Amino acid sequence: MEPLAPFRVLAPASIAEAVAAAAAHQGARFLAGGTDLLVNLRHGIGAPGVLIDLRSIPELRRLGPDRGIGAAVTLAEIAAAPPMLAAYPALIAAAASVAGPAHRAAGTLGGNLCLDTRCIFYNRGEWWRSATAFCLKHRGETCHVAPTGHRCHAAFSGDLAPALLAYDAEMRIAGPDGLRTEPLSALYAEDGAAHLRLGPGEFLAGVILPPDPWPAAYAKARTRGAIDFPLAGVAVALRTEAGSVAGLRVALTGTNARPFLLAGTEALLGTPVDAAWRDRLGRLVQKQVSPMRTTLAAAHYRRRVAAALAGRVAAQLAEAA
Amino acid sequence: MRNARAVVGQPTPLIDGIEKVTGQAVYTADLPAEGALVGRILRSKEAHGRIRRIDIEAARALPGVRAVITGADCPLTYGVLPIAMNEPVLAREVVRYRGEPLAAVAADDAVTAAAALALIAVEIDPLPACFTAAAARAPDAVALHADKPGNLEREVHHRFGDVEAGFAAADFIREHVYSCAEVAHAQMEPHAALASFDPERGQLLMQSTSQVPYYLHLMLARCLDLDPAAIRVVKPFIGGGFGARVEVLNFELITALLARASGGTVRMVLSREETFLTHRGRPETEIRLKLGITAAGRLTACAAEVVQRGGAYAGYGIVTILYAGALLQGLYDLPALRYDGYRVYANLPPCGAMRGHGAVDVRFAFEAALDALAAEAGLDPFALRRANLLAAPTETPNGLRVESYGLGTCLDWVEAASGWRARRGRLGPGRGLGMACSHYVSGAAKPIHWTGEPHAVVHLRLDFDGGITVLTGAADIGQGSSTVMAQAAAEVLGVPLARVRVIAADSALTPKDNGSYSSRVTFMVGNATIAAARALRERLVAAAAVLLDAPEAAVEDAGGQFHAGERVASFAEVTRAALAREGGAITAKGSFTCPEPFQGGKHRGGAVGATMGFSYAAQVVEVAVDAETGAITVEQVWVAQDCGFAINPLAVEGQIQGAVWMGMGQALSEETGYESGLALHASMLDYKVPTILDSPPIAVHVVESLDPNGPFGAKEASEGALAGFPPALAAAVADAVGLRMDRLPITPDRLLEALAQRARAGRLARALEVA
Repeated sequence: MEPLAPFRVLAPASIAEAVAAAAAHQGARFLAGGTDLLVNLRHGIGAPGVLIDLRSIPELRRLGPDRGIGAAVTLAEIAAAPPMLAAYPALIAAAASVAGPAHRAAGTLGGNLCLDTRCIFYNRGEWWRSATAFCLKHRGETCHVAPTGHRCHAAFSGDLAPALLAYDAEMRIAGPDGLRTEPLSALYAEDGAAHLRLGPGEFLAGVILPPDPWPAAYAKARTRGAIDFPLAGVAVALRTEAGSVAGLRVALTGTNARPFLLAGTEALLGTPVDAAWRDRLGRLVQKQVSPMRTTLAAAHYRRRVAAALAGRVAAQLAEAA
Repeated sequence: MRNARAVVGQPTPLIDGIEKVTGQAVYTADLPAEGALVGRILRSKEAHGRIRRIDIEAARALPGVRAVITGADCPLTYGVLPIAMNEPVLAREVVRYRGEPLAAVAADDAVTAAAALALIAVEIDPLPACFTAAAARAPDAVALHADKPGNLEREVHHRFGDVEAGFAAADFIREHVYSCAEVAHAQMEPHAALASFDPERGQLLMQSTSQVPYYLHLMLARCLDLDPAAIRVVKPFIGGGFGARVEVLNFELITALLARASGGTVRMVLSREETFLTHRGRPETEIRLKLGITAAGRLTACAAEVVQRGGAYAGYGIVTILYAGALLQGLYDLPALRYDGYRVYANLPPCGAMRGHGAVDVRFAFEAALDALAAEAGLDPFALRRANLLAAPTETPNGLRVESYGLGTCLDWVEAASGWRARRGRLGPGRGLGMACSHYVSGAAKPIHWTGEPHAVVHLRLDFDGGITVLTGAADIGQGSSTVMAQAAAEVLGVPLARVRVIAADSALTPKDNGSYSSRVTFMVGNATIAAARALRERLVAAAAVLLDAPEAAVEDAGGQFHAGERVASFAEVTRAALAREGGAITAKGSFTCPEPFQGGKHRGGAVGATMGFSYAAQVVEVAVDAETGAITVEQVWVAQDCGFAINPLAVEGQIQGAVWMGMGQALSEETGYESGLALHASMLDYKVPTILDSPPIAVHVVESLDPNGPFGAKEASEGALAGFPPALAAAVADAVGLRMDRLPITPDRLLEALAQRARAGRLARALEVA
C-alpha cells in the first residue's frame, strides 16, 4: 500500500493564529475532517509539509450565535437537525445525504463547501495517474475528458453548497486582510483546476444563513442510496403567493466545475407550478448544466436527471405551500 | 427425522463468531511478525508490450532494500488448471495487462519500499492491445499468446438432443442477445500474505488469504522449485473470498520469492486498487440465446452462443466456458441443447471463478427469455416453470445426475409468500413483480488435480482430555464450514458441540483438502466428517464393550455416554479405556469420493458441471421504478432454496440472503470498466457494491429435499440463489415499466436512456400516424 507522505499538523487556537500559521508555512493546507484532503494526499496529490487543523479553533466549531455556522461544524451535527436549523430543512437534508455516517462524523461544513472537484481521471492513486501521464488538473498537460480543450472539467460534488446557495447564504472568509463577508456564490469559479476563489492564506471561516428563509428542499441522484457523490444535486427555494410562484432560486451541484444558481428563473414567476412550468424549468436547467465525462455514469444522464429533480423538488414545495 | 437430530438442524452461531465480532480474530495483514520486511509490487503501465529492459540496480543499492526480483527470478508459469498454466509470476518478455506485476521489492519499511519501486527503470515497446472480445477476435488482432491464434483460449461445441426438431416443434421462439458486464468479488478483506523463509534449512512458512491452501502449496513448490515437504501453508482468518482466492494469485508467489531472496519474513498487503487489479472475477459475457416452447409451455430446444472476455491469462477460463454450457441443463427438463462457447483473451486483468461460477450470466439470459416467452404465449411465469420440472432421480441429456429436486416446492412457497396471484399486475404504475429460478452444484464431482486420492479426508483426534478435534484442510473463509464440521462430528458422536474444536487448513497438521470452491465443503468434507466420526464411534463402542463387559452389539451410545443394559460408562471413562486399549491418542480418519457415475458425461469437458447434488432456488423480486430518475428500488425479495437439509439453518439463511444480495449488486450497479485497459472501478467508491440503504428485506424459506447422498441430506446453500436475482429483477422492471432490459447492470442511466428511447420512438410513431 502507498505510504502517506509525512506532514506536521498545527493546531491554532484562534482564527488569527491560523492565518499567522498559513503565512509562516508556504504551501500549508487547511485541514478539517480530512475526508477529502487526506484521500487525495494518500493518492499522492500534493505533499504539503504542514497541515493547519481548523478544528482546534473553538469559534469555528460553533453553531450560532444567531444564524452563523462555523466551518468546522461537522456534517453529522447539521444532519442531527439542531433547533437553530429548524427553518433550513434543505441544509439538513443535504448534510444527511453525504456519503455515510463515518464520513459525516468527520466531515465538516467548510470541507464540504471547499471540496476539491472530482473526475474519473483525477481521483486515483499515483500509479494510475502516472499511467495516463497525469491530467490537466494535476501534473499533466491534457484533460482526458476533453483532450482538445485547455480547461479542466472536473466536477464539484459537494451537497451543502446548492442548499446554501438556494437559501442565499453568505460566507465569512478569513485571511491576512482580516474577516470579510460575501455571498456564498462568490466562492466559486467555473474552472475544475481552480474552482475556489480564495486568496493566499485565506480560508472559509463559516456561513451565515439569512433570516426568514423561503421553503426549500434538496434532492440528489446517485447510483446507490449512500456513499456516492451526487451525479446531480438540486436545491430549490420557492415562495408562492396565491398559488403562483412569487420567488424562486434553484442551485445545482455535480454537473459543473462549481455549484451555481440557475439564471433566468424570474421568467418562471407569476404562474402556478404545473406540468408546463416544470418543462420550462427543466429546459432552463438542461441549458445551463454542462456535465462532462467525469463520472462513470453517462454525462447525458446527469443533465437529464438534474432537470427532472429540479421539477420534482419545485412541485413538492409548491404542493406543500 | 429432524426431531432425532440434536445438533445438526439447530440454528447455531458460528463457532469462530465471537473472535470475529470482538475483533480478536487475526487476519493475514494483522499477523504478528516483528521485523517483517515490507513487500511491494511494481506494476505495468502498458496494456501490451515487449519488455526491453527492467533495471533494478539502483533499487537494489538503496539502503534498507533487502531484495528486488523480476520475472528473471522465476522462469516457471503457474495457473489453476494443469492444462493451462500460462501465467508468469512476474511478467517475462511480454506484459499483457495494465497492472501486471513486473518487479517486486522487500524493504525495511514502506517508505523505503516505495522509494525502491520508483528507482526501477522499465522500458517496454508497446504492442497493439485488445480490450474487447470483438477486438481480440478480429482477423488482424495481435495474439496475446503465440499458441492461441485468434486469441481464442477455448471453444466449446456441444450438442445434446435434436435441436432442429425441437425448434420445429416450438409454437413460440425467442432469440435475443443478452450482455452482462464483468463483475468482481469485492470481498471485504484486501489480499495479503506473510511468508517466512529459513535459509539454513531451506524451509518456507506461508500464510495467505487463500480459499485453497492446497493449491497454494502446490504452486509454491512448483514456482520456487521446492520440495513440498519444505513448505508449510497456514490459513489465518479470511475475510471473504467468493472465488477470488481459489486460484493461487501472483502476489502470493511473489511474497514467497521475496522471502527467499531476502532470507527472511516478508509481509505483502495489497491496496484495494491492487486487489481489484489482481481480479479473477466474472467475465464480461455476451449470450445469444434462442429458446423454443410449445403453446402449453413445454421447452422444446435451446441454442446458446456465449462469448466470455477472459482477460490476459488462462486462469479458470476453460472451466468457466464449460460451466456456462453445462449449467443450461440441470434446472429444467430441457430436451435439446446446442451450446457454442468462446473464451477469448484480452489485455485486461485475468477473470476467474466467482460465486455461481459460469452459471450466472447464462441463467440471466435463459430466465429473461422465459419471461418474455411467457408473456408472448399468455402463460404465467410460474406455470411456465412448472411445465418443465424435472423428476428426480434423473440424468440430463448432458450427463448431469439429479438425485433430489425441490424446485417445485420452492416455486409454491415464493408464489404464495409474495402474493403473486393477487398482486402481480395490480401494484400500480412504476411497481412490478418478477420471478426466476436458479441452481448450483454441491461441489464439482471431479477434482482439477487428479491424484487418485479421495476428494475429501478428515481426521478426528481424541486424547486424554476427552476433547474431539476435527482436523480438516477445508478453508473456512467466513461461510461457516468449520461450524458445519463441528456440528456433524458432534451429531454422530452424540456429544455437545462445545466438546468439538476444529483446526482448519494448516498443512503441517491437517489432511489435504481440495479447498473451498464450487460449494463442495459441506457436501464432501461434511460426508468425510461423518465417516470419520462413525469410525471413531466404532472404536469407542469397542472400548465400551470391554469396559461394560458386553458384546459390541449390545452397547448403545446416547448423549455422550454408553449403555449396555443397566450398566453405564461415561464418555470420559470410555475415552480412557479406548486410549489404554489403542496405545494412546486416537486419530480416526474419514474420507469421501464422488463415485464415478456422478462425474459427468463422456463428452470432452463433460466433467464440468457434474455434481452429486444440485441446489435449487426460486425467487420473487418486487421493485419500484422511478421513471424520472431511472432509479430502481428493490422493495422486497422472497426466496426459497432447496439445500437438501439445513445443517445450520442460521448460516443457511445468511448465505442465501448473501447470494441474493450479491445478485442484486450485479443486477443493479456493479460493473468493472476500463479506459484503454486501465481499471476505472478499482476502489470501493467506483465499484458500486450496494449499500445497506439499497438492501431490501429478504424473506428466506428453506426447502429440505433430503438428498440421498448429502451429509444428513444436505446440499449447497450459498451459490444457488444468486443467479435468479438478475432475471427476477429484470422481469419485475418489465412488469413495472414494460421494458425488457437485456444488459446488466440495469443502472439508472441505462434505464432512463431506454425509457427516453421508447418515448422518442412513440413520438415518432405518432408523428408518422398523423402524417
